[in-house]
Amino acid sequence: MSEDSVAELLVRAAEGDRRAWDAIVSRYERLVWSVVRGFPFDDGTRHDVFQTVWLRLVEHCGRIREPERLAGWLATTARNEAIRALQQRRREVPSEFRFDLPDRVNPEAADVLIEGESERAVFRAFAELPEDCRHLLRLVCADPPLDYRTIAELVGRPVGSIGPTFGRCIKRMRQIMERHRGLKPSNGGSR
Amino acid sequence: MSDWTDDQILAMLRRALEVADPVPETARRAARAAFTWRSIDAELAELVYDSAEEDVAGVRGTETARQVAFRAPGVEVEVMVTHSGGRRIVGQLAPPQTARIELQTPEGNQLTGTDTLGRFSFDDVPSGPARMVVRGDDVVVVTEIVVI
Repeated sequence: MSEDSVAELLVRAAEGDRRAWDAIVSRYERLVWSVVRGFPFDDGTRHDVFQTVWLRLVEHCGRIREPERLAGWLATTARNEAIRALQQRRREVPSEFRFDLPDRVNPEAADVLIEGESERAVFRAFAELPEDCRHLLRLVCADPPLDYRTIAELVGRPVGSIGPTFGRCIKRMRQIMERHRGLKPSNGGSR
Repeated sequence: MSDWTDDQILAMLRRALEVADPVPETARRAARAAFTWRSIDAELAELVYDSAEEDVAGVRGTETARQVAFRAPGVEVEVMVTHSGGRRIVGQLAPPQTARIELQTPEGNQLTGTDTLGRFSFDDVPSGPARMVVRGDDVVVVTEIVVI
């Protein structure tokens, strides 16, 4: 709704304007979620990590040096908090009680929720991708967008590898979609 | 669908994820509520040491207490976090001085006072982000956030 600049929102939030803070949260919550989602957390830990990112932003509100890079700052903070949480779990939970929870997506539930036929097809293919592809695609389609340099830091790979890996993942996704289409004769007439 | 461009596919995926994997309402509320931690008029005590950060290789045993230190001009806050049973924080101010200490967590705050040597403790500390506000005779200090 409001087209206020991020810099302006940060200043107002630092001065105590709650509406400015809420605007920042709505603009960036999905981005932070996309990063945190890439880690094998249970719901409770994921919630803690997500919450901590925002507490850190409140702490730093008035001191963000490059407001235009807030997306990158939030993404990097989310990653750092996530890694910290993984280390803490490693420290506190004996390995025999530690389970890595895969990044689950439920294509059936999604079928009910997603309205557009094309979106459903895309999501069904996404659900079948290997985890590293899903993690990368979540980051690449994050909104507001992240640059490749930040994405490279987030996945811990060289910048030069992001383009090719993205290409591989989306190609894979297209193949899965083709296969799904072949499996559904009822869709045959819609060409 | 083979003639969709990459950008079109990404746009559809973005819309699908917003619906199929939304930010949970509780998380969204927590993000908004974080605003109440906007720094009160206090000096920030920066994290200067955290034994957990030295532990990348996971070599230490799980029974060892975690040690954390914060520093602000004029006062240092040193704490130990143990978690045998419930989580517990035991700390001390340096130089020794009396103060009221508030432990803030998203689940609520706990208030305690130090003894004459500046020692204090908190029992039943919830896991998650936390910070302490130290109110002494002539200092008000808030520590950086640590995740306990």
